[in-house]
Amino acid sequence: MRASEVYFPDSLPALLDLVRRMPDAVIYSGGTEILRGQSEPYARLPPEVISICGLSELRQVALTERFVEIGACVTIAEILELRENAVPELFALALRGIGTPALRSLATIGGNLASTSRFMDAWPALACLDALVELRDASGSRWVNVNRLAGSDGAPDFPAGNILVRLRLPLDRWDLVVLRKVGTRDYPSKDTAVFALATKAEKGILSEFRLAFAGQIALRLREIESKFIGRRLPLESKQRSAFAEEYHEAAADLSPRLRLQFGTLVDGVLDLLSR
Amino acid sequence: MTISFILNGEDVSLNARSYDRLADALREHFGLLGVKADCRRGVCGKCLILLDGRLAPSCLLPVFRVRGREVITIEGFSQTDEFADIMKGFAEAGLETCGFCDSGKILATAALLERQARPSAREILEEMASVPCRCTDPETMVKGVQAAAELKARRHYRRASQ
Repeated sequence: MRASEVYFPDSLPALLDLVRRMPDAVIYSGGTEILRGQSEPYARLPPEVISICGLSELRQVALTERFVEIGACVTIAEILELRENAVPELFALALRGIGTPALRSLATIGGNLASTSRFMDAWPALACLDALVELRDASGSRWVNVNRLAGSDGAPDFPAGNILVRLRLPLDRWDLVVLRKVGTRDYPSKDTAVFALATKAEKGILSEFRLAFAGQIALRLREIESKFIGRRLPLESKQRSAFAEEYHEAAADLSPRLRLQFGTLVDGVLDLLSR
Repeated sequence: MTISFILNGEDVSLNARSYDRLADALREHFGLLGVKADCRRGVCGKCLILLDGRLAPSCLLPVFRVRGREVITIEGFSQTDEFADIMKGFAEAGLETCGFCDSGKILATAALLERQARPSAREILEEMASVPCRCTDPETMVKGVQAAAELKARRHYRRASQ
C-alpha cells in the first residue's frame, strides 16, 4: 500500500498556502467520515493529506451576549460541553443526534458541514438559525450565510479551495424548536433527512417561522415562511389548512416515506400554533 | 514519519505510515492488547481509548492524528485510583462486564465521571452508547456507574479534608 504524504500546517496562512499548492489534497480534521466506511486493516487515504486538527486558530470558541463563534475544528463533544445556553437549543439537538459520544469526541463541526455525506446533520438547524460561516481562501476572508453551502439545486456544494474557519450563531430566544431525524442510518439516501423548525412570537403575533430540511438536497422555504410572519396566534383553521397545503405541495418531490414524515411534522407544528 | 505523543504517561515516538491506525499500532508496537480493533468503523467500542481525557475509538484514528497528544489505554488507566473506584463501584452494583467490552465500559465511565461528577441515568446510558455490547442490562449499568461516582466523590472528599 502506498503511503500518503501528510502535512501539518502550523498556522492558517500556511494551511492556505498548502491548499493553493495542492488543490486535490484532502483536509483532515476529525476524519471520522473519511474512515467510517473502511473496515480494512489499513486506512485508505488520498495521496496528499493536510492534517488541521492541531491548528489553534480553528479551535477557538468565543461567546458574546448576542452570538457564539465556534472554530471549525472544535469537536461536536466540545460544543455540547459548553456551558448551558452557550449554543442555541436547536443546534444542540442536532449535535446530540450525531453518532455516539466517542465519535463525537473526534468529529468536528467543520468536517460535518464540509462533508457531503454528513451535511444533513447540522445544516438544517444552522440554516434555521441563520448562522454564518467564515470562509477563507488565498484572496481573503468572507462571511456567508450557511445557506450558501447548498447549491441552487439544494445539493451540498462546499466552495472548492476554501477553508471553513468558524461559524457564528445568533443567540436568539426561540419559543418552539423541533428537530427530527428520519429514515435509516445509511445516508445520504432518498429516504433520509433531517428537519429543523424554529418559531417565535411576540405579543401573540408570530414574528419568526423558519423551517429547513436536508437529505440528498437541502432546502429552506423562505417564501412560505414569510407568509407566516405577522399572523396572530392561535392560527385560524382556514390559515392552518392553507399553510399545510403549501408545505405539502413543497414536499411533493420528496420520497413517499419522507413526504409522510414531513407532513406529520408540519401538521404537528401547525396544530400547536392553532391552539 | 515519526509521530511523538504521550502514551500512558510516557513520551513515546513511533515511526508510522499514514495508513496505520492507532488501534493496530498500540497492539503491535506497544503490546497494549487491551485495545481490540474489531469493526474498524468506530462502532463496536472495543478499541476505545482516552484521547486528551476524552473517549475516542482508536480504530478511527490514523497514528498521525495523535501527534503531540495524550493517549491513555486501559493498561495505563488501570494504574489509577479512578480505576479502583470504578471496579469497586461495578462490583458493589453486581455489574459484570464481558471480555469484549470491559475496557470500553471502564474507560467510558472514566470519561463520563471526569465531566460529570454525579451523572444521571440518561447521561450514563447515552455515554454507554459508545460501547453497544449487550452483556450488561441498562439498570445494573446505571447502578454501577453511580456507585463508582459515589466512591470517586468520597475519595476526593477524603483527600480534600486531609
